[in-house]
Amino acid sequence: MIIESSDQVSRLSWLKRFPIPRNFRVTPESRIEKGRTWPAPADAKRVKAFEIYRYDPDSGGNPRLDTFHVDVDNCGPMVLDALFWIKNKVDSTLTFRRSCREGVCGSCAMNMDGTNWLACTRFISDMDTNATIYPLANMRIIKDLVPDLTHVFAQYAAIEPWLRSETPEPEKERLQSPEERSQLDGYYECILCFCCTSGCPSHWWNGNRFLGPAVLLQAWRWLTDSRDEAKGERLDALEDPFRLYRCHTILNCTRTCPKGLNPGKAIAEIKKAIVEREK
Amino acid sequence: MINTGANSNSTPARPRPLSPNIQIYRPQLTSVLSIANRVTGLILSFGAVGLVVWLSAAATGPQTYGVVQGVIESWAGQVVLFGCTFAFFLHLCGGIRHFVWDTVHGFELRSIYISGWTIVAASVVLTAAAWTISLFVAGGHP
Repeated sequence: MIIESSDQVSRLSWLKRFPIPRNFRVTPESRIEKGRTWPAPADAKRVKAFEIYRYDPDSGGNPRLDTFHVDVDNCGPMVLDALFWIKNKVDSTLTFRRSCREGVCGSCAMNMDGTNWLACTRFISDMDTNATIYPLANMRIIKDLVPDLTHVFAQYAAIEPWLRSETPEPEKERLQSPEERSQLDGYYECILCFCCTSGCPSHWWNGNRFLGPAVLLQAWRWLTDSRDEAKGERLDALEDPFRLYRCHTILNCTRTCPKGLNPGKAIAEIKKAIVEREK
Repeated sequence: MINTGANSNSTPARPRPLSPNIQIYRPQLTSVLSIANRVTGLILSFGAVGLVVWLSAAATGPQTYGVVQGVIESWAGQVVLFGCTFAFFLHLCGGIRHFVWDTVHGFELRSIYISGWTIVAASVVLTAAAWTISLFVAGGHP
């Protein structure tokens, strides 16, 4: 099956997960236990089951998988609407991040049916039966669907995501030609939802030192900015067996980006720029 | 001050759970072919040892060579050899795909999927061709 754009949902009904034990490489505190099942309202006609990852830091217990039955006739069309439906009508302790509800803010990034996407731009009708919802993969979890993003934002800060310039500040704005400005297209649109970084196997295994696709895409966004004057130093900082070169071009990042961007290509551009300056 | 998630001062800090990754993430052509490239590379490194054993046996003498050749020509030996042939072609085609990526070409999602399925199909065709030639054209099998 040829995937044309990242918003296409896989129609393959087999091999929904890798054939490995559920607790493969899982440390004791992260093991997911069986949770409770919440029934649908008695008058519901069309019901969809959602299996949702729950973790309550105050309970002292392990994460668990609860099953909720949502009355889809009484609920909005998106997965985020289903989460609100559950929070309003069934279990008010269900915790998740959300803000814009239109794919602009990146807050509601989570793992739905095994791939990362924004809950506000994924249709309930595109979800499996049962639908499964986990937090972003490979993150420390604060509560339920809320991941701790401290580490990935620290990695973002490490690439110095701001304009670096030696020349004196101009009186007005720093000018760019339309061609120079177009170099930023496909990169400046990143909303830092971290769907890609969380879906990258290299970041799963080496996330403490590998910067990951979201941060490397941002690194290229500054490298390719005609106004930035720290290209050499930026490349020096990236030329490292782990920070950049743990990318093995798996391309789960490009497959999962909810904004249709191409972190894999941005990383290839960085690798090429490093080779070309050494000529 | 970063909130470490500790419950309170009286209870020992419990580490935050790590959300599942490989255990739940959906297999996709992207990740499956990446793993396949790794696994075929591993198979080929063992295959290279087998090749050295076969060549050493040929250099040692007819009797040793006969024993090794007997193993290769056995039913199990042929299955392993067939697997190694497929691994060789998949790894070769996957390597070419990576070379193209290194020139920053073929990164559109559509291209990624087309090149992915192309290397799978090419490996099947090349494996079949290699075995057809060795069995029927070159007449290698006794």
